[in-house]
Amino acid sequence: MQIPRAVGLALWLLLLSALPAAASGLAFIINSGGASISLVDMSSLKEMGRIPLLREPHHCALSPDGKSLLVGDTVGNEMLFFDPLTAALQKRMPVPDPYQLGFSPNGKFLVVNGLARNQVDVYNAASMQLLKRFPIASMPSHLDYAPDSSRVFVSLQGSDSMVAIDLNRLTVAWTAKVGKTPAGVLWHNGKVLVADMGTDYVAVVDPADGHVTERIHTGKGAHNLFVSPDHKVIWVNNRVGGTTTSLDASTLAPIRSYAIAGGPDDIAFAPDGKLWITRRFAEKVAVLDPKTGEYETVDVGRSPHGLFLSPKGIAAASVAAR
Amino acid sequence: MGDAFDLAAGWLQEHLLLPLLYLLGLMQWEDVSYGWALFAVYGAVQVAITFAVCMPLERWRPVERWPDTRAVTVDVLYTVISRVGVLPLFTFVLFYHAQVALNGFLADHGFVPPTLERLLPFLLDQPVLTFIIYAIILDCADYWRHRLSHMFRWWWALHSLHHAQRQMTFWSDDRNHVLDDLIAALWFGAIALAIGVPPLQFPLLVLLLRFLESLSHANARVWFGTAGERLLISPRFHRAHHGLLAAGQRSCNYGAVLPWWDMLFGTADFGRDYVATGDPTGEEALASGSYFAQQWAGLRRFAAAFARAGRSPIG
Repeated sequence: MQIPRAVGLALWLLLLSALPAAASGLAFIINSGGASISLVDMSSLKEMGRIPLLREPHHCALSPDGKSLLVGDTVGNEMLFFDPLTAALQKRMPVPDPYQLGFSPNGKFLVVNGLARNQVDVYNAASMQLLKRFPIASMPSHLDYAPDSSRVFVSLQGSDSMVAIDLNRLTVAWTAKVGKTPAGVLWHNGKVLVADMGTDYVAVVDPADGHVTERIHTGKGAHNLFVSPDHKVIWVNNRVGGTTTSLDASTLAPIRSYAIAGGPDDIAFAPDGKLWITRRFAEKVAVLDPKTGEYETVDVGRSPHGLFLSPKGIAAASVAAR
Repeated sequence: MGDAFDLAAGWLQEHLLLPLLYLLGLMQWEDVSYGWALFAVYGAVQVAITFAVCMPLERWRPVERWPDTRAVTVDVLYTVISRVGVLPLFTFVLFYHAQVALNGFLADHGFVPPTLERLLPFLLDQPVLTFIIYAIILDCADYWRHRLSHMFRWWWALHSLHHAQRQMTFWSDDRNHVLDDLIAALWFGAIALAIGVPPLQFPLLVLLLRFLESLSHANARVWFGTAGERLLISPRFHRAHHGLLAAGQRSCNYGAVLPWWDMLFGTADFGRDYVATGDPTGEEALASGSYFAQQWAGLRRFAAAFARAGRSPIG
């Protein structure tokens, strides 16, 4: 029996969509110690070029309209806007100490943590106008929002605390002790999770008042945490232990631990299901296959920290040639 | 080459410093500790390269030969403390919060340190050229710091420790009183604030500059020719600065890497040929005492000079 051409094509497309997507595209790896961005071809895992920045960039955030990738250069006191598809520089803007940054889910606010200057700045995301500066001691580090954008939660690495800022009233809602040297923050199922780097656990925090309700042991120096795109797994990087731990997102029970040497820090998820993990002290990115536990490495610049994957990105020739 | 040093610093951070910080409950210092690890590794490499190049030079064409070199041993200790160990750690910890506080205060009042790259955007794609320009600016700043340290009686009381060495070798570059080092760190901290200088962005070039500074102190008959002497400071040129007749305000050749500032400001002397070094006006403890005896003598002289008077040029 001959299969009609149209049906065959439809079957082929169906088969293709069922397979994991190949990870083509462009990866932005921010080298905080090298003051640059490594542009990596996601297919070949090769660095194609390096964009020089001013002093010490750390983190990035995609604008709500998806048209700009914002990269904060802390010591350079500068925010850089890149085209996430081509890595072309769109504009530069003076911003004091932009260490960690993130847009609110409703796209109205951009919160910028100044870790070195002990300040949390709330910007109007559309106009980039500073709405309010909160001088907060000490070392405002990571952040995440409530899903309704009513509050932002910021870990205070130097004072073992977390602060919740009411974004409607632009006031501090509460400050509470959450464990030693808190770093990564993640809103999850009505709770705030914070990785306490001075310990081996992730603290589960009540967003209403900041009290710790539970501690999930993951590994020494629990530093940063991310939820998978399907919201089924939470990934925790343990800086001192040199491991990445997966947690069941519904129960928070540990599933598996992966050895990722070299100070694992930030994670980004590729369409093929692999995790891209920056290894701060190894000048490399690990591309981890969570099914096998094996990882490939990508050579980048000194102290890679934040990263962004742009599956449809192709570096502009002028950028890639650098 | 830089990658290997970076990875060594990373190893130090991952396997030694992080576990220690974790144990002591000081994980908030992890970024600072990585900075120090880089500093220490590059410092150790500086010492190794300087030793590998300068030692054969000193053996091959020495200016002087000494039967007893115990005084040089103290200078080795100064070098290790200054380039690898305690001093960078102390500087990092002490200045980190001070710089952050000051930067924050200035930023709140609308001052963000200007950078060359913002003034001249084409430099963004030219990191090596940018660094060279910064290095020239910093070398000029160091010329004036050094010249002033000879002018003020209280400052000279500290800096004379550096000049007291009669057996000057490549190890003598770091032979300084800790207060003198502290003033230098403050001086460069202020300059960095003014021009937004990159701290550890170009460690290999910093390594090269520090090597040239050490080489200029070498006990070696080395000069760079008539033209070369006017481009880079040689052991011959810098030795004139350490000469017996050049201690204190009478000195010349204050530059560290480039002789241009001495030529520009009228303090260059290209005529002196491998003179004897030391400070005949200083006390013996500064020349031949132990590390602590030298530091104590410097402190005593500093307190006495400071008590005597503010700005009084020495003769």
